[in-house]
Amino acid sequence: MHELTFDSPAQRALDTARARGATYADVRFEDGRSERIEVRNGVVVTLSDDRTTGYGIRALCDGAWGFAASDDLSDAGVDATAARAVEIAKAGAAVATRRFAEAPADVYVEHYATPIERAPSDVPLGDRVALLLDAERALHATPKVSVGRAWSDAWRTDKEFYSTTGSKIAQLLYQTGTGMSALAVGEHDAQDRTFPGDVGLYQAGGWEVVTSARLGENAARIGEEASQLLVAPQCASGEMDIVLGGSQVSLQIHESCGHAAELDRIMGWEANFSGTSFLDPSLLGKLRYGSEKVTIVIDNTLPGALATVAYDDEGCKSIRSDIIRDGMLVGFEMSRDTARTIGLSSNACVRAQSWRHVPMIRMCNLNLLPGDVPFEALFEDIRDGVYMESNRSWSIDDHRLNFQFGCEIGWEIKNGRRGRMVKNPTYAGVTPAFWGSCDAIADERSWFAWGTPNCGKGEPMQTGRTSQAAAPARFRNVRVGVGYDG
Amino acid sequence: MDSAARESLAQSVLAFAKGRGESEVSVFAVDDGLTRFTHNAIHQNVARAEVTVHLRTIVDGQTGVASTNSLDDAALRKLATRAAAMARLAPQDPVFPGLPSGGPTEAPPDSFVAATAAATPELRAQLAADVFSIANRDDLWAAGYVKTASHGVTIGNTRGTLASFDGTDSGVNVKANAPDSTGFAERNTADVTKLDAAQAASAAAEKAMRSRDPEPVEAGEWTVILESPAFGDLLSYLTDHFSAQAFDEGSSFLSEGLDRRYVGDNVTIFDDYAHPLAPSMPFDYEGVPKQRLALFERGVAKNVVTDSYWAAKLGLPNTGHALAAPNSDGPLPMNVVVAPGTKPLAQLIAETKQGILVSRFWYIRPVDLRKTVVTGMTRDGTFLIENGEIVCGVRNMRFNQSILAALGNVEFSSEGARSSAYSYSNVVPAAKIEGFRFTSSTEF
Repeated sequence: MHELTFDSPAQRALDTARARGATYADVRFEDGRSERIEVRNGVVVTLSDDRTTGYGIRALCDGAWGFAASDDLSDAGVDATAARAVEIAKAGAAVATRRFAEAPADVYVEHYATPIERAPSDVPLGDRVALLLDAERALHATPKVSVGRAWSDAWRTDKEFYSTTGSKIAQLLYQTGTGMSALAVGEHDAQDRTFPGDVGLYQAGGWEVVTSARLGENAARIGEEASQLLVAPQCASGEMDIVLGGSQVSLQIHESCGHAAELDRIMGWEANFSGTSFLDPSLLGKLRYGSEKVTIVIDNTLPGALATVAYDDEGCKSIRSDIIRDGMLVGFEMSRDTARTIGLSSNACVRAQSWRHVPMIRMCNLNLLPGDVPFEALFEDIRDGVYMESNRSWSIDDHRLNFQFGCEIGWEIKNGRRGRMVKNPTYAGVTPAFWGSCDAIADERSWFAWGTPNCGKGEPMQTGRTSQAAAPARFRNVRVGVGYDG
Repeated sequence: MDSAARESLAQSVLAFAKGRGESEVSVFAVDDGLTRFTHNAIHQNVARAEVTVHLRTIVDGQTGVASTNSLDDAALRKLATRAAAMARLAPQDPVFPGLPSGGPTEAPPDSFVAATAAATPELRAQLAADVFSIANRDDLWAAGYVKTASHGVTIGNTRGTLASFDGTDSGVNVKANAPDSTGFAERNTADVTKLDAAQAASAAAEKAMRSRDPEPVEAGEWTVILESPAFGDLLSYLTDHFSAQAFDEGSSFLSEGLDRRYVGDNVTIFDDYAHPLAPSMPFDYEGVPKQRLALFERGVAKNVVTDSYWAAKLGLPNTGHALAAPNSDGPLPMNVVVAPGTKPLAQLIAETKQGILVSRFWYIRPVDLRKTVVTGMTRDGTFLIENGEIVCGVRNMRFNQSILAALGNVEFSSEGARSSAYSYSNVVPAAKIEGFRFTSSTEF
């Protein structure tokens, strides 16, 4: 069982904040370790071991939050940081014309640890490097492969949360990822292939995540596909049916549902940077977001998913809650403050990148539930369409409506069968109409928790680790080939 | 932490690493605050202070990197041990040329302003309140932030390099919101006493009010005038192509060759760390002095940027453009400056028979790497120009456009501006481009 390490400085921070005038305060201590290995064309270009320890204090004064973070663990440092958080809250309260925040009342005392089979640090570093070198070497299956890359990331975070209401939550989190890519270069063209998915495979877990990716078994195929793309025909343009691979459906969920349903964004809290949303609380239960095949849920308890934890970063317990049920909008991703404004309770979707970052709403684990047909059946009644895999380009407007995505690779679908390879496949649409055109989702045998380790949001910018479990899915009458059609 | 303390810390780390091959230490100190607001009220108010030490150790061409933010001797000794242990497990890189020796550098004038380093949350809140006043006056709601920051960098290595830089930054960022339109403006300066939040708010408010009731326009090829924030954002997707790594590996359009004309002969682009609108550190993350370098000169590609590794690999001079280790992205130009034209923005607008004025882009992403085709959206103030006049706001549109093709048919304004608050900020004029390709529009 993981024991509390920072109980003493935490209590000091909370006492100081209270003494300075905070009506509520919480403090999050984190001891984080990140190891990254990256191999590029036979050279280990990154072999890094980063450690960071510090804490962030939130103080509430007169309905305004202040947040201060420091790596100074001395008594004086803790006192100064707590005082700074209160000072900032008071400065905000002094010019406030409205109040966003209230003190929470819930209390949790608990320990949690990510279930793992083997900690990455227990695997000899030489073995970890060798696995990536072997995979990267195999990517060079043809002379056209100019750049081969293979990488792994291992994150271990000891996190302790304390609040003035008495919460004491200790979590030991393991998140691990790996991937590889091949860049093939021809005359006036360069084509990339990445595996698995477009960012690799990232999940909650230990070294078993890396071995499950089977880089070595797939490396030669990925290198060959990158090379074949150089001479493949251009993907057709026009309106047609498409099938998206699982990782691309994951990206589609992330961009056109996950961000759209963040309640802070809906309330305008991200307006100047990430943008707002076409959604509105008045649309709950009324807006048809997609076809009846589409059910999307928050589930921050899903085993193995990258964002799975027991508690979020403002001390709320992870739960499962629906966002889209049978195609209807029924929920949002929420924090305590935002949920209260619409008469609901938090669904524990608040995370911070590290101790030095203020907690904010994240989509966490947002999953499209699987359908009821085998993957191969998605192609059966398509006369003329395209199957696309692995994202290469993603762009969506600041209300999350008009999107254009491109994939690394596609295959024609002719009369129900997958045909020849095509390059540069792109598709575009408008969010509710696109999800409304989804008429089939592959079953649970193809359902997988794809992780996104690099989701950007907020100011100062934070990189979040989210997950979108998904299976391949079929969409009808989609605009294909944008960007190459003239 | 001031430069003397950082240099002392760097020397200590190098002493702990002694006898374990070559070593390079980087000390990063940051103390910053950001006050964020929406609906004319502060909703997020943060500050942080941190010092981080990174150590790169090379043993017989094998490299390991470790970092920590624990600064006691025990932690720093452990840092040296970890970096060396990692290095011994890495395969040897036959190209590795050894760590570079630095050289004398001088920080650009006004890159550090004490008033900015000493800024308080009360000052940030007051500047935010200035924004609220303008927004309330015009019956708008504002979202944005006020930030102040001081940061210090020290790079040292076992070849005798020891370079330090201290900089400050401040900024105000405002999106003004009306019921069916928005406007955006931001100001950034190293000197917070010159930060005029009310002026930024007024500029954003004017755009929001002027673009009310936006009209739909047809997608297709348009004459566009991209204001500095929009053009700077677009250009940032071209600058990676000037990396020696991308050049050598074939992902850059420059792989077709240097000393060739790729864009119009009125296009000259430099990398210049000392530009007064964006003064930056005078050395790179290996402690090597940055060169002021021409990327395009009258339309002809002249140089790619290098660091010690890529200079050695390609037999080129080291231009001082290394990123912080570990780095798999290669060297990059980080201080891009576009030479301005001769006409003010107002004249470019006045000379436009029919066109679109774009204040800002959003979510630009590459579509075709070698052809430099990117897609993205307009946002926060898009206007129709007819017969030299701005006649109304228009609904936002998506574009798919080759950046090189755009630079082949461009006219720049005479005013330069820092394009954004972010690390990919450029100093650029407004750009009038013919035949810019919009492919769809939105409902707002």
